[in-house]
Amino acid sequence: MFINTLGLAVVYWFKTNPLFCYKMQHFTHQLELFPDCSVTLILFNDVKNAAALRKKAMEGSIDGALINPAMIVDPFQILVATNKAVHLHRIGKMKTRTLYTEIIFNLSPNNNISDALKKFGISDSDSAVLIVLIEDREKTVNLDGIISEVEGQQVSLTELHKITDTAKVKKMYKLTPQEEKIGTLLDGIICRMSTKDTA
Amino acid sequence: MMADGGGEAGEVPPPPLEGLQLVQQGAEARLYRGRFLGRAAVAKLRFPKRYRHPALEERLSRRRTTQEARALLRCRRAGISAPVVYFVDYVSNCIYLEDIVGSTTVRDYITSVQQSGKDTSNLFLLAEKIGEALARMHDEDLIHGDLTTSNMLLRPPAEELDLVLIDFGLSFISGLPEDKGVDLYVLEKAFLSTHPNTDMLFEALLKKYSTTSKKSSPVIKKLDEVRLRGRKRSMVG
Repeated sequence: MFINTLGLAVVYWFKTNPLFCYKMQHFTHQLELFPDCSVTLILFNDVKNAAALRKKAMEGSIDGALINPAMIVDPFQILVATNKAVHLHRIGKMKTRTLYTEIIFNLSPNNNISDALKKFGISDSDSAVLIVLIEDREKTVNLDGIISEVEGQQVSLTELHKITDTAKVKKMYKLTPQEEKIGTLLDGIICRMSTKDTA
Repeated sequence: MMADGGGEAGEVPPPPLEGLQLVQQGAEARLYRGRFLGRAAVAKLRFPKRYRHPALEERLSRRRTTQEARALLRCRRAGISAPVVYFVDYVSNCIYLEDIVGSTTVRDYITSVQQSGKDTSNLFLLAEKIGEALARMHDEDLIHGDLTTSNMLLRPPAEELDLVLIDFGLSFISGLPEDKGVDLYVLEKAFLSTHPNTDMLFEALLKKYSTTSKKSSPVIKKLDEVRLRGRKRSMVG
């Protein structure tokens, strides 16, 4: 009896622990403000065809945002950028031309679009790629299709911290020394992302 | 903050967050707690006031929302603890912020320490922390606009006096000692009326403010002037 309860408790812990909502390594979150919309993050390492992928992304033949994971500290950073992008898309007020470029733009602490796409999008020499997919009533996501396009190893989002280039991130977001005392790097990043249009 | 009557407020739907709870109904906005993008968050929804002309209404709500977001960023950049902004919705004038889970307002903390009759030396330390935070804020030329002990939170455990400033809806940027003096005056009135027998506490707050802020003496001078101006004060002679 006790073993049963223990077993149930273990299963319950696994199912509710946010870390383990990474079914099959990718990470999905349903946007609260847009309940028909869900965001999926897939992380790849040892990527060999970054240049080809980038070309496909620019042509619009990949239905997702291709992001440089070295600039990402936590999936929350992506969720904040995506939530804002979907919001602006729905009211027709995006600053860029597509939902996917808007997500990438929202990651930037400033309002320079081409700079954002260059710094946060992938470059030809990148060996790691983070793909963000959006699914809503109008569009379903072909996860396996996207995965097959990448010549690389799919890894769990829990590996992200190994790929993050903290020094580069700090330089990009320009956190002040006083700020580092009152919060985490992620806090500073999120604040800049969400309030950059008030500055 | 008095509740403004369900009328106009009832027409605005609450944000669809998981585990949504209404925390506070204020005159200007409603505060909700819930989960947003996987985190504990607070949603501050400014609702329309029907007695205002619609054009003015739109602009005012929008402006307050913008000012609040801007002030929160400025605070953090200066190293003043304030909630992290997760998302600003300019359509419904709703700000989604970090929820300081388990926090106590400074107001409740002071009241409970006084009532429990326990050692009040921590209160003096708290007063100094507040003075220091306000000094840094004013040195950034940031005026809070609505300083009260209910607009200051302490992260748990409260005794550690980890202060967080909130509610920047009436904030603005100004370098004028007059504006900073008025900011302090508002706090003084709120402080002394909410917490009896705290004159010494507030004095300690001002003292720390003076020593921390580089531009404090004109501000304190203005504070003295404003005190003389206040309600039911004769400006004769």
